[in-house]
Amino acid sequence: MIQLQSIKKSFLIGKEKINVLNDINLTIEDGEFVAIMGPSGSGKSTLMNIIGCLDKPSSGNYFLEGDDVSNYNDKELAKVRNESIGFVFQQFHLLPRLTALKNVELPMIYAGVSKQERRERAVEALEKVGLSDRMDHLPNALSGGQKQRVAIARAIVNKPKLVLADEPTGALDTKTSKSIMEQFRELNEEGVTIVVVTHEPEIAEYADRTIMVRDGMIQSSRFERGL
Amino acid sequence: MSFMENLIMALSSLKAHKMRSILTMLGIIIGVGAVIIVVAIGQGGEAMLKSQITGPGNTVEIFYQPSDEELRANPNILLQAPFTQEDIRALEQIPEVKRVVASGTKASTARIQKKLADVSVTGINQAFLQLNELNTANGRNFSTADFLGARRVGLISDKLKNELFKEKNPIGSIIMVANQPVEVIGVLEKPTGLLAFGSMEIYLPFQTWKIIFGSSDFTQVTLQAYSAEQLQTAGKKAASLLNKMHNTEKSYQVINMEEIAQGIGQVTRIMTLIIGSIAGISLFVGGIGVMNIMLVSVTERTREIGIRMALGATRGQVLIQFLIESMTLTLIGGIIGIFLGWGTASLISFFAGWPSLVSWQVVLGGVLFSMAIGIVFGILPANKASKMNPIESLRYE
Repeated sequence: MIQLQSIKKSFLIGKEKINVLNDINLTIEDGEFVAIMGPSGSGKSTLMNIIGCLDKPSSGNYFLEGDDVSNYNDKELAKVRNESIGFVFQQFHLLPRLTALKNVELPMIYAGVSKQERRERAVEALEKVGLSDRMDHLPNALSGGQKQRVAIARAIVNKPKLVLADEPTGALDTKTSKSIMEQFRELNEEGVTIVVVTHEPEIAEYADRTIMVRDGMIQSSRFERGL
Repeated sequence: MSFMENLIMALSSLKAHKMRSILTMLGIIIGVGAVIIVVAIGQGGEAMLKSQITGPGNTVEIFYQPSDEELRANPNILLQAPFTQEDIRALEQIPEVKRVVASGTKASTARIQKKLADVSVTGINQAFLQLNELNTANGRNFSTADFLGARRVGLISDKLKNELFKEKNPIGSIIMVANQPVEVIGVLEKPTGLLAFGSMEIYLPFQTWKIIFGSSDFTQVTLQAYSAEQLQTAGKKAASLLNKMHNTEKSYQVINMEEIAQGIGQVTRIMTLIIGSIAGISLFVGGIGVMNIMLVSVTERTREIGIRMALGATRGQVLIQFLIESMTLTLIGGIIGIFLGWGTASLISFFAGWPSLVSWQVVLGGVLFSMAIGIVFGILPANKASKMNPIESLRYE
C-alpha cells in the first residue's frame, strides 16, 4: 500500500537548510491501522503531508499502491488526493457556508460525479457516521464530535483505500474522542487503511501499530495488537 | 467540474458578503451605465441628425455646376436659372421618378407701407407642397386653384411676419413683392429642429412668381423616387438626361444626401467615442475595485483554498473558481448597469427632447465587455489563489 524508500525532506529557512526528514523507510500494508507518534518538531506532520501527497519529498521514492508518486506533478497529485486518500484534520476543516451534505459532496465534485449520484453517496456516507438527521445543518450548528463525523464522511465518500487523520481528536473531549476513534476502527475493519498522527498515547492504543518519529527518523515501530 | 456548478458556487460566495459584493459591483454598474448613456444619446443624436439632413421621403436634389469651358464661353451662365420647363416635363417621364419638385428663388424686396425687407422669393410648383412641409401657423395654405389661376397670393415666413407686421394679423394684407402686389394668405410655422434657422421668405405659386419676375426657369429641382432603392437610379438617369438635353458633359449632378449624412454621422460617432472613452475610464476604475476585492477575498479564503486542494481540487480548478467568481460579479454589475443606463438615457431623452437609441449591439457589447473585465481583473487574484501551497493554506488562521 504505502512504501517509503529513503525519504528525505529539507526546507530552506533563510540561507540555512533544515533537514526535517532523514532517510525514512516505512512500509504500511493494506488494511493496517497505524499511529504515528512523536514530539512536536519531530517531523511527523511533514511525514504525514508526504504520505498524503500534499508535499513532495526532497529525495527518495514513495510508492502508493505500487505507483511512484514522488515524481508526480501537481495535477496528478491532486487526482491521487481526490481518489485514493481521505483526510481528517484536527480543526475539522469543513467549509462554513456549506451544509454537512454539501461538505461531504465536495470531493465528488472534483471527481466529476453526477449531481444525483453525489447526493446519494453523500447521504449514504453521513448515515454511516450516524448523522442522517443533521445533513442540512451548517457546521456552526454542529458539535465538535458531529463536525468530525462529517469530516470522516467526507474523507470516505470517494471510497479511498487510505484515510489520513491528523490529530483527529485534538479538539475533542475524551468521551467524543473515544467514539471518533471507534469510528476509525470500524472503518478499518471494513478494510480501509488508517494512518493517525497523534501525540496522545491513548489514541495510539486504537492502532495496531505505533510508529515513533524523532528528529526526522523512525525510532521504533511496534505492534500493539498481536499481529 | 461544470460551469454551472462553478456559477452556483460563485453566487453563493458573493451572497455571503452581500454588502461587499454590492459595493464592488457599484463601480461596474456606474461604469457600464455611463458608457451606455453616452452611446445611447450619441446614437440617438446621430439618427436624428441623419433624418433631418436626408429630409422626408426618398428625395435627391439636382445641382448645376458648369464646367470651366462653359464658364469661359458664357461668364454669366451662373446667373441664368439652369432648369427650363421642358426639363421638368422630361424629368417627369423617368419611370422611377414619382414627383419633380421644382422651385425658383430670387432675392428681392417685400414692402408694406414704409417697411421694407430683403427677402428670398420662391416660386413653387404644386409637388413642392407634397414634399416640403409648408405648414401654416396662421391663415390657409395654397390650393390647386392658386396654382392653376396664378393667383397673386403668398405664404410668408414667421420671421418676415415679425419684421413687417409685428403683432398685427397679416392675413389678407397686401404686400409689395418686387413692387407687385401680393396678398398674404398664411404665415408659416416657426422652423424647429437643430439645423433650421429662421429666414425671411415668401412662397408664391410658380406661375405667379413667373409673372412677377419675368422668368420661367427653375433654380432648384428635387426628385422624389418611388422607393429609396430607386433613388440612385432615378438621380443618375435624371442627371444624364439633363446633360444630354443641355449638351453638357457632367454639369448636372445629383448630390447624394446619404453621403453627407454619413459624413455627419462620422462626426457624431467620433464625439460619442471620445465621451464614451472618458466614461470607460470609470469602468476601468471599477475593474480595479473588483481586483482589489478579489485579492482580499482570496487571502480571506486561504483556508478554503487549502481544504479544496486537499480534497482534490487542481490548481486549474481553483483558478477557474475564482475567475468565474469575479466574472459573475462584473457580469451582474454589467447587466444592472445596462438597465440603469438604458433607463437614464430614456429619462434624459424624455426631458431633453433628444432621442436615445440602445441597440442590441450595445447591450451585447456591454455584457461581453463586463465579463471581459471580470476575467482581466480577476486573473491576478485567481492566479494568486491557484499558486497557494496547500499545506500552508490549511494552517492559515
